[in-house]
Amino acid sequence: MSQTEKFSAVESLALIESMINKAQNKYSENGTLYLLWGWVVFICAVVHYGLLTFTELGKSSSQVWLLTLLAMAYQIYYITKKQRKAPVKNYTDEIIGYVWVVFGICMGLVIFIISQLGTWQLLYAFILLFYGMPTFLTGAIMRFTPLKFGGILCWALAVCSVFVQSREIILLLIPAVLGAWIIPGYLLRAKFKKSING
Amino acid sequence: MFKELDPILHSQLRLAVMSLLISVKEAEFTFIKEKTNATAGNLSVQVQKLKDAGYIEVNKQFKDNYPQTTCKVTPEGVKAFEAYVQALQQYLKV
Repeated sequence: MSQTEKFSAVESLALIESMINKAQNKYSENGTLYLLWGWVVFICAVVHYGLLTFTELGKSSSQVWLLTLLAMAYQIYYITKKQRKAPVKNYTDEIIGYVWVVFGICMGLVIFIISQLGTWQLLYAFILLFYGMPTFLTGAIMRFTPLKFGGILCWALAVCSVFVQSREIILLLIPAVLGAWIIPGYLLRAKFKKSING
Repeated sequence: MFKELDPILHSQLRLAVMSLLISVKEAEFTFIKEKTNATAGNLSVQVQKLKDAGYIEVNKQFKDNYPQTTCKVTPEGVKAFEAYVQALQQYLKV
């Protein structure tokens, strides 16, 4: 491009449009964190249910959820590394980041409050309700429909949880993470690879 | 009466840089170079002109022992860009 070349108003607008498109087409979400959290919650839910059903561990079987602390540590490391490497910072990623920070804080507070009150049946309804919120919002911001469906699925499962008041309530987390994080995570990864290759 | 087009922005490469930066929070020099297909020398000159006009902010730092230059639009740059687009629209209405 020549810096001195003067061009018409139509060409100017066309250039502005093409550069804005180029900036927006930078698809930075590769689905890694969706897959990480999807599989961690999936494994924790299956192991928790298995320990409750087939062992005498009782309440202490919930210790399996400590695995989420490891996932959180990896997430902090991954985000720090990704931010240092990113050649461009856009507003969309920043807003999505805040949505998930709000989700993390709300989840932490809900788990603390409900564990203190001892009403564990309510815990799963709230977890599913909260899973749906950032998932749907991220889908809307990224214009990525599978995440929106994932959010709606979580809310439907939150309603179902009212009618499942046994240990099987834990199993509701499995379709929730499959629909909200694991499947969209693989779809995001495929989309990311496609955007890199072509 | 037509508004005069801002001469700082009415240049292909400078307008391309501003259009890129207006849609992101900040971008590295290498990213801008890749998207505009400009040479490093030419881009440096135009980035400096935009900086001198107060339209962009340029930060130079070291990342993993390599120099890194990042650019972001200033509020003044946003105003100038909006005024430029309005002036273009006025031209096109006729």
